[in-house]
Amino acid sequence: MTTSSIGYIPGDHEAEKASNSYLMSLIAVIAGLPLPIINLIATVIFYLGNRKGTYFVRWHCTQALLSQFSLLIINSNGFWWTVGILFRDGEVTNEYIAYMITAFLFNLVEFIATIYTAIQVRKGKHIEWWFYGDLTNMICKK
Amino acid sequence: MLKPILQFGAIAALFFLVWFGLDRIDWMTIFQVEKTTKNIEEKLGDLYWDILKKVNDEITDKDVVAPIDSLLTRICERNDIDREKIKLHLVDKDEVNAFALPDYHMVVYTGLIEDCENEAELCGIIAHELAHLEKGHIMQKLVKEVGLAVLISMTSGNGNPEIIKQAVKVLTSSAYDRKLETEADLTGAEYLINAGIDPEAFAAFMFRMSEQEKGLPDQLYWVSTHPGSEERTQAILDYIEDREVKVEMILDSTQWMTLKENISKN
Repeated sequence: MTTSSIGYIPGDHEAEKASNSYLMSLIAVIAGLPLPIINLIATVIFYLGNRKGTYFVRWHCTQALLSQFSLLIINSNGFWWTVGILFRDGEVTNEYIAYMITAFLFNLVEFIATIYTAIQVRKGKHIEWWFYGDLTNMICKK
Repeated sequence: MLKPILQFGAIAALFFLVWFGLDRIDWMTIFQVEKTTKNIEEKLGDLYWDILKKVNDEITDKDVVAPIDSLLTRICERNDIDREKIKLHLVDKDEVNAFALPDYHMVVYTGLIEDCENEAELCGIIAHELAHLEKGHIMQKLVKEVGLAVLISMTSGNGNPEIIKQAVKVLTSSAYDRKLETEADLTGAEYLINAGIDPEAFAAFMFRMSEQEKGLPDQLYWVSTHPGSEERTQAILDYIEDREVKVEMILDSTQWMTLKENISKN
């Protein structure tokens, strides 16, 4: 995670909107834990609502959206695995428990990173995540 | 473009590495998963048997129980199965039926014993049910058809009576899926061969029952809940084709006849 410059200082309203995109994904993560698709939908809606905003707002909405994808894959897999155990084979394996703990750790890391980014972005700082930041730079043009 | 791909690869690798690392830890012991599963099975087995015991008469007459017990004991001993863990129940009922319940309960109806022409046929059914128990088919079937959440609620005493009734029906009068039945057939045949019992008799029993079933479907539960008997008979015959069985009788013909007479007296 790095702090970099976007070439201008974002205004307070911009910082608020950009920061909200992370909060949106955060709240949606909590609401969407049983069904991981919910947080993605929530972030997509927020992204669509702000895609015509200023560069700072657009950039952070995009990063917030992209950062959801890896968790979406991890959590969906965990979700369907659990459904399979509950309704099909009924067998909890060591592999499954290890997967769920790994998924929890990744969720936790992303959760903390999201809170930190939301706070920094609210202050007008431009935070670029490792991998997602580069990806966002490729998608989001000034 | 290459950089994000490499970064994505690094994240994926990190994920699998953490997963693999955590998989090295024995979480099953830490979370006592096996103990909890065993507890659920025990409670379910007792619950099932209590329900069945209320509506049926269990035969405890030594003259009837001892010969059946000797058949089961032979199969267990020759296959390294702990006989002690199996709770054999003989139930006085005309239905041609036998089934396995969670936690190693095995229920055999007298109607089935009366329909068997010799001990090998009865051993075939016992070996088949034993295979279901040993392969863990009972819980697999219950979880699939009733659901783990419902099973847990049943064991905690909060089960809805109607659901419990359905759950009992799942094990006493409905089939396992074809894959599990075939596995139980072939494992059962292997048990029989090891125990010195002719597995062909089991195939013959299934074939005879499937023929009879065409006439009277209601009483022949065991066969009507084990569909595709003709194909399965063939599968067993194919499996044992080149196998040599050194038959060692457990009950002689007099003991077998006495057993049947004692059953009709009950």
